[in-house]
Amino acid sequence: MSDEYIEDKDGKKIRKLVELKTSTAKEYEQIMLDRVEEFKNKNAEKSIFNNFIQNTLVTGVGTLLNLKVKVDEALGEDNLKKVHDALDKILLIGL
Amino acid sequence: MYHLDDSDYLNEKYFRKTQSVCPECLERIDAEVYEEDDQIFMRKTCPDHGDFKDKISSSAKYYKWTHWAIKDENGNVIWKFDKDGDSNPPDCVGEDPRGCPYNCGLCEQHISTCSLALIDLTNRCNFNCNFCYANVLQSGYLVEPTLEEIDRIMTHFRSKPIPAVAIMFTGGEPTVRKDFPEICKMAKDHGFMEVIAATNGYGFQSKKGGLEWTKKVKEAGLDTLYFQFDGINNSTYEQTRGIKNLMPYKQRVIDNCREAGLNSIVLVATIASGVTDIEVGNIIQYAIDNIDVVRGITFQPVSLCGRIAFEEREELRITNADVLKKIEEQTGGRISMENAWYPLSTIVEMGRVIAYLADVEPIEFTCHPDCGFASYMAIDPDSGEMMPVMEYFDPLKIIDFANKFWEKIKHKEKKPIKLFTDLLGEGIGETLDKGLNFLDKTQLRARFLIGILQYAKKPGKLMEMFSRVLINGDWESISSFSYGTLLLSSMHFQDAYNMDLERVKRCIVHFGVAMPDGTVKEISFCTMNTIHRPEIEKQIAKQITPKVRDEFDTTTGQTLEEIQQEVARNGGMKKESDE
Repeated sequence: MSDEYIEDKDGKKIRKLVELKTSTAKEYEQIMLDRVEEFKNKNAEKSIFNNFIQNTLVTGVGTLLNLKVKVDEALGEDNLKKVHDALDKILLIGL
Repeated sequence: MYHLDDSDYLNEKYFRKTQSVCPECLERIDAEVYEEDDQIFMRKTCPDHGDFKDKISSSAKYYKWTHWAIKDENGNVIWKFDKDGDSNPPDCVGEDPRGCPYNCGLCEQHISTCSLALIDLTNRCNFNCNFCYANVLQSGYLVEPTLEEIDRIMTHFRSKPIPAVAIMFTGGEPTVRKDFPEICKMAKDHGFMEVIAATNGYGFQSKKGGLEWTKKVKEAGLDTLYFQFDGINNSTYEQTRGIKNLMPYKQRVIDNCREAGLNSIVLVATIASGVTDIEVGNIIQYAIDNIDVVRGITFQPVSLCGRIAFEEREELRITNADVLKKIEEQTGGRISMENAWYPLSTIVEMGRVIAYLADVEPIEFTCHPDCGFASYMAIDPDSGEMMPVMEYFDPLKIIDFANKFWEKIKHKEKKPIKLFTDLLGEGIGETLDKGLNFLDKTQLRARFLIGILQYAKKPGKLMEMFSRVLINGDWESISSFSYGTLLLSSMHFQDAYNMDLERVKRCIVHFGVAMPDGTVKEISFCTMNTIHRPEIEKQIAKQITPKVRDEFDTTTGQTLEEIQQEVARNGGMKKESDE
């Protein structure tokens, strides 16, 4: 917990918000994963997190996202915009 | 700002007509919402009580953005923030010829469904805040539904074609009820996915058995605390609650919830100008410091009751835009007003696509854009710093894509493919069509997922969870995603000065009240507190018995006197805390 305070004229403590850092960043991701575990255990085979096909799919999406972010950087802003426009049109075709 | 590159629109003075109520007699009157000095005001005239003026937003630019509409080449509106939601059938025929807001409810004029059901469990409370409407000692009567009545209200909300998915227990202080754990279990048994207690922390903070009690209610089904939290300074609580040294009491709630594994707390701060508005940055930092148990913060600009002159109201009135400005100022510009915030109704179309493709109950935030704003914060995996989730993906683009996608597929929701049924009749034809519809939804889901994720800017576990939300639209995915983020929101409840009936009709937060005739009245939040409460409570009030008066806390059987001593000991009146 940040200990940097300033005090107003009435003596109220106001945090000096120089950054919005948390000392528990790792735990924060963990709490999301703990929630997943909670659902897995509570809802057993009904839980979406125990669905093998979906878990494989989501892992695949994660890998693709990793790759995509790197490709985006390589493409540059202008080219990326063109790709997005084209993809938008393709995905909406025939609906 | 989203789509705010239309300078002509920004240069036009804002004006619209609506309807409101007279703050004196509560009769419905015409009102105008207009721009003046870069701010937005409401003016109205009651034939009996004269003219009234009140500030709606301190930022005309921001307000205009939230009322902007995308139009086609013919000038027809194709998308806007305020929208009509899907409605459940009305519960009652409006008997009052004056119409909305006198016929709650709900009557046929309501155009949103209930997303959050509320039940006042009691008007007893261990605090005695002088501004609170729910106080057994001030009102002189007890309002406390029986278990049978609570069951009836829950049945009402869950049996509708579009059922409420979340329920919140309010009061008074709901945790003073001995049967509170039983009520939480009852809510889960009824199928509410999210069970929430609006609390000052009473039951959770007790030094004697507070931890065990917290574990017990979690086990029974309580998911989230909607936790009254005005700031981190004792002096702030002294001003807002009239109690000294309250912060240790608040901290004990956080600690006990952490130890009990009840790790979904939403800090709720009532924002009053000059009192709690200096605390918004403190509260955000406090949430980040306790991020393992705090899921979000709701800032609630204070509603004004009673007869208050315009000049005094000008001083007291704080709007959503003021709160967003304070947040920007007090976070060094990291959560900026122009980029981080969206009206809750922004994601309606996206929610509809997800619900349609995943065949799940839709959660519709079709409240009016003046009702509230929200922003998700997430941790940047590179810097470890909290930032608006908008940094994770391009929000303008994904909202645009979702809107276009819904526009293209929404006809399918009402008319599923019936190719084989028409050709081969029911039976085999129907089965084949089911298969066809499944394949159609699968390809749509793939298109939608690619369409949204193309705008992602960062990889990681959080985005993987977001993709699950897009694929499944189920509660497990949504809930888990929310555990990986910090939700900031600002909700401005209406009072008689600023009531806008366009907002009332779109309200998504509804009280349920069990009436003596066996029916349930469903009443939108702001009309309940501004108009209906006295009349409703007159019908359902119970006499204060010596038992209620003396055995104030039915959990422990303690007397009111003892409770006051406990509050004093635990962070209340005595300066000498035994912390």
